[in-house]
Amino acid sequence: MADFLSTYGFLIIQMMFAAMLGLSLYLPLMTGQLSLASPGFYALGGYVAAIMSTQVFTLEEGQAFPIAYVLIEMGVAAALCAVVAVIVGIAALRLRGIYLALATIAFVEILRVTSLNLDITGGATGIFGIPQPLGASQKLEYLVFAGPMLLLCIFFMYRLERTRVGRAFSAIREDELAAAAMGINVTFHKVLAFTMGAVLAGLVGAVSAHFLNTWNARQGTFDAAILYLAFVIVGGSRTFAGPILGGLLLTALPEALRAIAGNADDAFSVFLRDGRLIIFGVLIAVGTLFFPQGLITPDIFNRGRKKKRGLTQPVEPVQSVREAPNP
Amino acid sequence: MFIQNLLNGLAIGGVYAIFALGYTLVFSILGIINFAHGAVFTLGAYFTYTLTGSQFGFNGILARSQLPFGLPFVLAMLGGAALAGLVGVLLERIAFRPLRARKADPLLTLVSSLGMAIAIVNIIQYLVGAEIYSFPAARLGRFFVENPAVILQVSGRPVPIRTVQILIFVVSMVIVALLTYLMNGTKVGKALRAVAEDGTTASLLGIDTDRLILITFFLSGFIGGIAGTLVGISVGINGPYFGIAFGLKGLAVIVLGGLGDIPGAIVGGIVIGLAEAFVPADYVGYKDAVAFAILFIVLLVRPQGILGRAVVQKV
Repeated sequence: MADFLSTYGFLIIQMMFAAMLGLSLYLPLMTGQLSLASPGFYALGGYVAAIMSTQVFTLEEGQAFPIAYVLIEMGVAAALCAVVAVIVGIAALRLRGIYLALATIAFVEILRVTSLNLDITGGATGIFGIPQPLGASQKLEYLVFAGPMLLLCIFFMYRLERTRVGRAFSAIREDELAAAAMGINVTFHKVLAFTMGAVLAGLVGAVSAHFLNTWNARQGTFDAAILYLAFVIVGGSRTFAGPILGGLLLTALPEALRAIAGNADDAFSVFLRDGRLIIFGVLIAVGTLFFPQGLITPDIFNRGRKKKRGLTQPVEPVQSVREAPNP
Repeated sequence: MFIQNLLNGLAIGGVYAIFALGYTLVFSILGIINFAHGAVFTLGAYFTYTLTGSQFGFNGILARSQLPFGLPFVLAMLGGAALAGLVGVLLERIAFRPLRARKADPLLTLVSSLGMAIAIVNIIQYLVGAEIYSFPAARLGRFFVENPAVILQVSGRPVPIRTVQILIFVVSMVIVALLTYLMNGTKVGKALRAVAEDGTTASLLGIDTDRLILITFFLSGFIGGIAGTLVGISVGINGPYFGIAFGLKGLAVIVLGGLGDIPGAIVGGIVIGLAEAFVPADYVGYKDAVAFAILFIVLLVRPQGILGRAVVQKV
């Protein structure tokens, strides 16, 4: 067990981060907005933590980096991401569908190129030697951060889907015009969802910077955005449990393939080991075909609840406008 | 300096334009952005490299191997592009058609095309490794070895232009001209435009929509392969991921030109190529952000693109 944890501690924390990053993309999607801006905010949060911990905070010789400082960094990262998200959100959320996705990709790329060129972000080499708050030996110790964060996220999302704001989100997702006619402030809720996603991505970024020990412009690129989208789509885009499961599974998958292959030398094992990302890509493509709704659909939860309350008639799920066949 | 920037901008803009045409063709027919196009572009460059009979590097399972023959560069480029076109057809069969048959959410198609992109990039890496390949100049023909640059005399001062840049611009303009003729002057082009306008009506009128979609993917892959080869001879094949950066700029180009608009994609490509070429030397690090800054502004000010018409959304 100790062996397993020391081998896979890094992966376990990464899986939890991935689950939260999936959620950060799912939040704007709750209002039907496909935003790929999460990696940008993830990178921004990471830079805040990296810059503050190496340049702002001073430590005495031999002193461990206090956890309180990390929490302060997370607070600053969250605040900065929120401000940027509101500004970008108000401008970009006038766009819909693929145009919004493209605008957010542009945002991510502009941030990336800027961070490559500024002195404070360390240019192309990035920022090295970010201090470790928990001792550098075991990456698994980051459970202190990742565990409570993920649990809080789950609790928050669970509550959100059942509150006035959450219901407003899904009303906008199903039909923006009808939602506006019912008196829901569409722009406010869209920007709110976008900002919540940005803050979450920024928080994960801030912890990641310590976790990875180094931060550079390769964190938070377009590929990452698409990967987070894959988390959401593969896991299921209709309930918050989907992105969490998708993030956990898809992050573990390539490593699981490597573990299956072990150290064997036959052609199949070599392919599993070196070609694991080929399998990963094909599985994502094929997964959309066999699980068009994702692995987790809201029906799974509802079925259980209906039984408990003694209802026998299943309620038809509301089809979204997008899924309706062309007239 | 001005002339040099202008010509460099036109050359790179020409490549952006034909790269974006690959996106545009598919978008105009299916209304979906094919995120695997960047991977097909990369593949095209590797196919051409292989067909010229050049040797692979030290990594991957094909390390140190090469074809027993080498084709002349022009044939290799056409062959490489045709192979890339076939990969495009394969993509449509695996990642697009099954989802289309189920009338799936466009978001799913986007993710499945992305899955294929990840698979293709990693297949390349598995086969030939992640190192940088450059085309041996000798493969291009003696003319390019003896004349690596053309010296223009502009108001008495010499302005050197790489011959390869001129070749790139000429080839991309030929592709643009051929494609324009194909779309406007032939029966297939007419059918393609009909499907783009309204797929259901087109198939009611007896147009074989599925066959035309296959043709579209072949064309898209073919010109993507040519674009990949052109960039490959200009700056080298920069590892399996080098199509991704182009793929992103291609997105900026098609939005600038208006999604699904063929003349728009050409204008958009040239505009972005020129804009990048004229970035002042002090800010050259920001060159890669230019396309996206333009993209962001265009989306906010004029989402239908430079040449596009506003689409009225009916409720």
